[in-house]
Amino acid sequence: MYNSHMRIIKENPNIIKLAVDALKQGGLVIFPSETTYGIAADATNPMAIKKLNNYKKRPIGKPYSVAVSNIKMAEEYVSLNNTARNIYKEFLPGPVTVVSYGKHKLTKGVESETGTLGIRISSYALVCQIVKDLRVPITATSANASYMKRPYKISDILGNISDKQKGLVDLIIDAGELPHNEPSTVIDTTLDDPVALRQGEIKFTDKNEVLSRSEESTQNIAKELFQKYESYLGKRPIIFALIGEMGTGKTQFTKGLGKVLGIKEEIVSPTFNLVNTYTLSPVRYTLNHIDAWRIQGPKELETLGFLKTIEDKNMVIAIEWADRVMSEIKKQREHALIIWVKIKYGKKENERLISWGTL
Amino acid sequence: MIILSIDTSCDETSAAVTDKTKVISNIIWSQASQHADFGGVMPSLAQRLHKERIDWVVDRALSTAHCSLSTDIDAIAVTVGPGLAISLEVGISKAKELAQKYNDILPALKSGVSLQRRMTYQRSIHLRSKLRSVLECCYKPIIPVNHIEAHLLSPLASPSTDHRPPTTFPALGLVVSGGNTQLILIEKIGKYKILAQTVDDALGEALDKAARLLGLGYPGGAILEKIARVGNPDAYTLPSPLIDDKIKNRFSYSGLKTAMYRLIEKEKPLTKEKIYNLAASFQEVAFDHILNVLSYQINHQPLAISHFLLGGGVASNNLLRSKLRKLLRPYEITLHVPYTKKLCGDNAAMIGVCAYLKSRNAKNLNAKLKSIDREPRMKIA
Repeated sequence: MYNSHMRIIKENPNIIKLAVDALKQGGLVIFPSETTYGIAADATNPMAIKKLNNYKKRPIGKPYSVAVSNIKMAEEYVSLNNTARNIYKEFLPGPVTVVSYGKHKLTKGVESETGTLGIRISSYALVCQIVKDLRVPITATSANASYMKRPYKISDILGNISDKQKGLVDLIIDAGELPHNEPSTVIDTTLDDPVALRQGEIKFTDKNEVLSRSEESTQNIAKELFQKYESYLGKRPIIFALIGEMGTGKTQFTKGLGKVLGIKEEIVSPTFNLVNTYTLSPVRYTLNHIDAWRIQGPKELETLGFLKTIEDKNMVIAIEWADRVMSEIKKQREHALIIWVKIKYGKKENERLISWGTL
Repeated sequence: MIILSIDTSCDETSAAVTDKTKVISNIIWSQASQHADFGGVMPSLAQRLHKERIDWVVDRALSTAHCSLSTDIDAIAVTVGPGLAISLEVGISKAKELAQKYNDILPALKSGVSLQRRMTYQRSIHLRSKLRSVLECCYKPIIPVNHIEAHLLSPLASPSTDHRPPTTFPALGLVVSGGNTQLILIEKIGKYKILAQTVDDALGEALDKAARLLGLGYPGGAILEKIARVGNPDAYTLPSPLIDDKIKNRFSYSGLKTAMYRLIEKEKPLTKEKIYNLAASFQEVAFDHILNVLSYQINHQPLAISHFLLGGGVASNNLLRSKLRKLLRPYEITLHVPYTKKLCGDNAAMIGVCAYLKSRNAKNLNAKLKSIDREPRMKIA
């Protein structure tokens, strides 16, 4: 079944209207861009997206990023935080896809399962004009079926798809062979969202504050703090809820806990792994080192086995970026001793102000 | 030897089919999505645990390779560590399920079962229990693989069977990724000694965090590399980590991270040009730290080394590659990198290749199904 309607037309100034009309009618249009050939569908039209899914043959639950014409249009579909705004300012239009939280105005399946949406503003004039005239975002996925070669010329596409797939395409805008540029870089800005940051909730009394002058002294402060509350261990687990900007020494603090617990292994940043568990042998205490920065919501903390670790009365838990999961930690007040530790940059290069409280 | 391999150590879900060191198919879930065509987006934890991902990538790996699990695949390789425990579990249980479902002896046994129905009651009970015990211990062999070891040996993967890079051991290897930074002496395949490793952040993680400090989102290592190309690496002076160490056997990025934070605060508001220069300056110092430790280790290495293997996500960074090549040239050490950048980030093909290289000394093939378990903090040596 070959679609006689599929038109291949060389790029020319009059083609914008043809493309816009095809998209308005729910059609699929293959277009050139500053990266590869892309395939466009009206991202607000469920029938068009269904058609695109059939064309791309992609697994369920894969989001599409979309192209808009400017930042104002982007804001209709996503919430931009400061990081996102900066990136728009510095890198768009251009080969960068910026992921933000979506406003759920597009067809289901365009945004990701977690409600995020990737947005591009193309530096290729034709694409921008099409979006401008259409007045709604178009999908900006590459025109190959999932897992096929990156399309830099029309034959890259047509040579790799079935007649059935060809039948789904209404218009192909042929701009010859494109320069072999890399696909766009994707930047996720949702992790910088300060939604969970309510540092003001934790109040520290003035006296519980010390000055650290080095990494070693941060480790030492951790050791002393642990020794102060050590007698609770065995009766209740101890949670060190660490709050502090990047580079203040949250991992250094945890290293100190590891030392005082007698853990020989090197304690390293848990950012990549989310959680590192260190067990002493023979087992006496266990140290669970968690990084909550990448954790998106209370459910994920549970998935990591947080509640289960609390059941172990010989458990020491250090949570970095604890402010992001503050309410979840607070819920454990009855079951665990919670020590909130705040680390701030001091005046001099290596100085840190460390304060704590058992709220 | 054709191996189906699975890797679910952290963010990626991946399956591959390899024949000895040749990669036949290498499917990584995120690459199927528009987003990850480009690498970079962090999946939510829930997404990472989706069962449908693992089924999809395994099916895709087999169909792309035109292989049937029951007839073509000789063994199943799976990452058992290091990584996130709950993620590792997804891959391991899938591997076990497939190994049991598609063992070679099962069809034969089934015909045996119908035969036994015709036997006397007494004998049948005896036979049945015997059959059951046989069934329980027969499965396609599973080869447990260390994720770091797979990154380390990933330069030995090849696009065709007769194209293995010529390497001799002992050799040196460097694994640089989001989760690991290790300089390793490879005495031979399977025998390793860690010469240096990170005491805080991994190199990839440090680059990602620097990008985040520059307001580039997370993980931003890839975009940092891109913009660093147009920046001036000498525009700013950042302190070289652990420069005073007498014995250079560790990497550290915590101090550099702090210095970067301070510098950015000082330079605010940031212009495009400042961001480019800061990115270039940070990358330069971060890489020079690696080279610094490496050159010490080469100079103090009693064994004759002529090959160097580079693996892990940051191995795709062109600046790091050229810096290493330049450093190694006077020592007449050849740098080997994975033949495609797809083998740098987390992927299953490297697991299959590693499984093959290790299983040549056969004892790995005899691992008991029950004894294969996740090892979140697995060590290579």
